[in-house]
Amino acid sequence: MSEVIVITSGKGGVGKTTTTANLGTGLAKLDKKVVMIDTDIGLRNLDVVMGLENRIVYNLVDVVEGNCRIKQALIKDKRYPNLFLLPSAQTRDKTSVSPEQMVKLIDELREEFDYILLDCPAGIEQGFKNAIAAADRALIVTTPEVSPVRDADRIIGLLEANEIHKIDLIVNRLRMDMVKRGDMMSIEDVVEILAIDLIGAVPDDDSIVISTNQGEPLVGDDSLAGQAYMNICRRVMGEKVEMLDLDVKEGFFKKLSKLFK
Amino acid sequence: MGRVMEQPVVIKSNKYGLTVCLNNEPDFETLRSLVAKKFEESKKFFKGAELAIAFEGRELSQDEQIILVQEMIAHAGIKVPCIVDVDVAKEAVMKQAMEHTKASAEVSENGDGKFYKGTLRSGQVLESESSIVILGDVNPGATVVSKGNVVVLGTLKGSIYVGAGGNENTFVAALSMDPMQIRIADHIARNSDGPEKKDKKKLLKKKDKQEEQPMIAYVDAGNIYIEPITKEVLADINI
Repeated sequence: MSEVIVITSGKGGVGKTTTTANLGTGLAKLDKKVVMIDTDIGLRNLDVVMGLENRIVYNLVDVVEGNCRIKQALIKDKRYPNLFLLPSAQTRDKTSVSPEQMVKLIDELREEFDYILLDCPAGIEQGFKNAIAAADRALIVTTPEVSPVRDADRIIGLLEANEIHKIDLIVNRLRMDMVKRGDMMSIEDVVEILAIDLIGAVPDDDSIVISTNQGEPLVGDDSLAGQAYMNICRRVMGEKVEMLDLDVKEGFFKKLSKLFK
Repeated sequence: MGRVMEQPVVIKSNKYGLTVCLNNEPDFETLRSLVAKKFEESKKFFKGAELAIAFEGRELSQDEQIILVQEMIAHAGIKVPCIVDVDVAKEAVMKQAMEHTKASAEVSENGDGKFYKGTLRSGQVLESESSIVILGDVNPGATVVSKGNVVVLGTLKGSIYVGAGGNENTFVAALSMDPMQIRIADHIARNSDGPEKKDKKKLLKKKDKQEEQPMIAYVDAGNIYIEPITKEVLADINI
């Protein structure tokens, strides 16, 4: 049974694409057959984060317009043979695809894949509507700041209005030191406002910046963020994984950073 | 009244209604068509208005008054809750009459309430003709508009507008009161512009005690008051 998951946030720059890349890679690591679709037409990013930019021949718009078959446009990941990417077009815009076309495309992919991850563009316009049209469930990415949380709230309302009721929250770029000082919202604060289930929290970690720049998702490695993403992958699959005690996490993190100093 | 008599139908208005000055000369049927014509011309201006009506300058039987008022309703789309006695067509009387009928209408409007379950999120608007109880939070950026009262069994952080029909005797109550803006009838109060710089540490800290307890907002002498819900406060609330 395949599951179509849209990764969305409303606000730009909170880590949708990074999350999609890491979840896709993580689920593939867990032996699932996964395809990631970059629905951000005109602002192609997911291929860069995955390090697959140089392999693009056809894209999402080509498939929808019938210039090629789906198989031709799917890019096989260089690390995992069961991970695929359908890149977006860089030279077109969001109006090149309609929600109906997305539903049709994804229905074809459902037969072959366990997980279909949709990297949603920022905003609530056409691109967002395309991305959520075929989704079974949604992952909301937000950082613990006031305006991304506000936008996330709006997005949740729109998703519910579109009959998507399985919505989980990822709190990204959490800085425990700031939370402790009272300068940043805690996970509890964010969950209280948004009133949806938390599926994971990812700490603010330098290694994420490095990994995205290198085009190598860090999911599953030793870094804190890598562990956090792996836990999210397991939870997405329905496993019960204990929420890491963030204070312990922080202690570990501090020890680690002290070691390297 | 000399000039008035030159025209068979003249409409005078005040804040609460209309005085229709009629000439004694034409027969009733002519007068009726003249009234119809006059109100037809003013259709755009009067449409949908609620007005008390008084007649002046001519003795009319009750049946005749009703016929003329029906013409007005049909041709200008006005609502006429009451006809005021010919001799005492004073603004004060009209005001009193109008407010009396209005108040009784509002009581029945507020009499029944509705329930809404769920969190109201940014961008969502909940509008209600009646009072409403919300089982959930009202998040920042969400709006609730009600002609009656609103009770939030959760956190109120959005904007709220009660007594939207102009009824000042309405209130907002919430388990946790931290709204962006409160409007009660024609009165508006907004949240403070965030904490003082000194309180930066407190910026994201838990809300202070005041906001944690159930609060109620109401209008008294033109000001909006937000107070913890106590027996004394509730005793002063008129529904």
